[in-house]
Amino acid sequence: MKTFAESNFPGRLIAVEGLDGSGKSTQIYLLKRWLEAEGIKVYFSEWNSSELVKSATSKGKKRELLTPTTFSLIHATDFADRYERHLLPLLRAGYIVLCDRYVFTAFARDVTRGCPPDWVRGNYSFACAPDLTMFFKADLEVSLNRILEGRPKLKFFEAGMDLRLSTDPYESFKIFQGRILDQYLAMSKEFNFVIMDANENVEKQQVIVRKLVSEKIDLKKFKRRSPLPLPPSLVGDREEKDELEDKAA
Amino acid sequence: MSAKKSHKFYGHGIPRVKPEDLGGKLIVVEGADGSGRSTQIAELVNWLETGGRPTVQVGLKRSTLVSEELEKAQDGNVLSRTTLSLFYATDFADQLSNLIIPALKAGFIVLSDRYIYTLMARDLVRGMDEKWLKNLYGIAPVPDAVFYLSVEPEELVQRNLSKNATLDYWESGMDLGLSRDMFDSFLKYQAAMQSAFKAMQKTYGFDIVDANRSAHAVNKELRKKISSVLDTD
Repeated sequence: MKTFAESNFPGRLIAVEGLDGSGKSTQIYLLKRWLEAEGIKVYFSEWNSSELVKSATSKGKKRELLTPTTFSLIHATDFADRYERHLLPLLRAGYIVLCDRYVFTAFARDVTRGCPPDWVRGNYSFACAPDLTMFFKADLEVSLNRILEGRPKLKFFEAGMDLRLSTDPYESFKIFQGRILDQYLAMSKEFNFVIMDANENVEKQQVIVRKLVSEKIDLKKFKRRSPLPLPPSLVGDREEKDELEDKAA
Repeated sequence: MSAKKSHKFYGHGIPRVKPEDLGGKLIVVEGADGSGRSTQIAELVNWLETGGRPTVQVGLKRSTLVSEELEKAQDGNVLSRTTLSLFYATDFADQLSNLIIPALKAGFIVLSDRYIYTLMARDLVRGMDEKWLKNLYGIAPVPDAVFYLSVEPEELVQRNLSKNATLDYWESGMDLGLSRDMFDSFLKYQAAMQSAFKAMQKTYGFDIVDANRSAHAVNKELRKKISSVLDTD
């Protein structure tokens, strides 16, 4: 798996991974705020897939129609949609793209569900590897407490109820998350995860995150060019040109 | 009931399904639109069921999970290549898990109106990676027989036009930009699909059936060949 830099993309992709409740979303949000303040071309990619794919995914989940195979494939479809429609154009345009979860979430989750690791990795092989992946490792108990305190109603697949680990959703969730954590740790070398101590306090973690990012990526290359002020009649032209370039990508 | 005879998967298979539990027969009919697939399958079902053999029919874009969304995606041509490809794979996997596998376990004869080969051929023609496709469709069981109904592109045009008075956007490969002219594009695209099938024939061992002939003649040949597959129990 080549990174975006190795594949000669002008942009860079930074991913955070970890269990729900590991604090990764807070960290990537703070990273985004910093990069924005520094005048960097940064984009935080939320998981907004197209209506079509979303409709199929939520139908499958609501009606509990999914098997490990279809669960994996519908999420791969969703990811491909987000990747082709959203991430690629931004990376071609030289953005720093921040992703809260990337393909590794699928690798951990689908393999826990029993899908063969090679099959899952193969299906996602159209995607480049992140230029930096930070894995937020917290004690399982800490993550579980954070989630189970704040959001008591667990959904069927979220709790891993399809695996029949336990008839109690909370018990099932705990076992499921434990197995996902094992999967993450097992692949951390293979995919060069930088392991972050998510038990550390938030501010200290953020200092490390920012340091890692500035060491890994030459940030000044990603500064927004302050565009020359154009007369209003030409503003449209510039936008049109950008659009054409995106299409060509 | 027919004796248990195990099947194989092309690749990894699917979790928690043992190939040795799959009895029954899986028979695939491939071919372009207008090659007579649905007519042939309807006849075969008739023949098998009157002969006391239980059947199940599957085909592309028929899953509960994503068929509606796939239809819409095609109408609007809104999805990129990999996304559409995975969407089709999801459709196939849903029918595989919920129809094909249970039917084979129960010893039924599954008639599949197209199979992974069409999906792969479409993607290969569009330049997608063969290794990627093979891995993806490693979930599919190896059929007991695959018949490819071969019809010359010129004859396909005539059949499609006499049926619908128009050519289908996707069956004409219009997304490939082969030609702005739909008629030209159809001929070029169907020729490309046929070569993709011919290239796959070596690997997958299709039985190529000359479907330029009458529906009756084709069905006679199919019955004869299927009979010998059923007799192997």
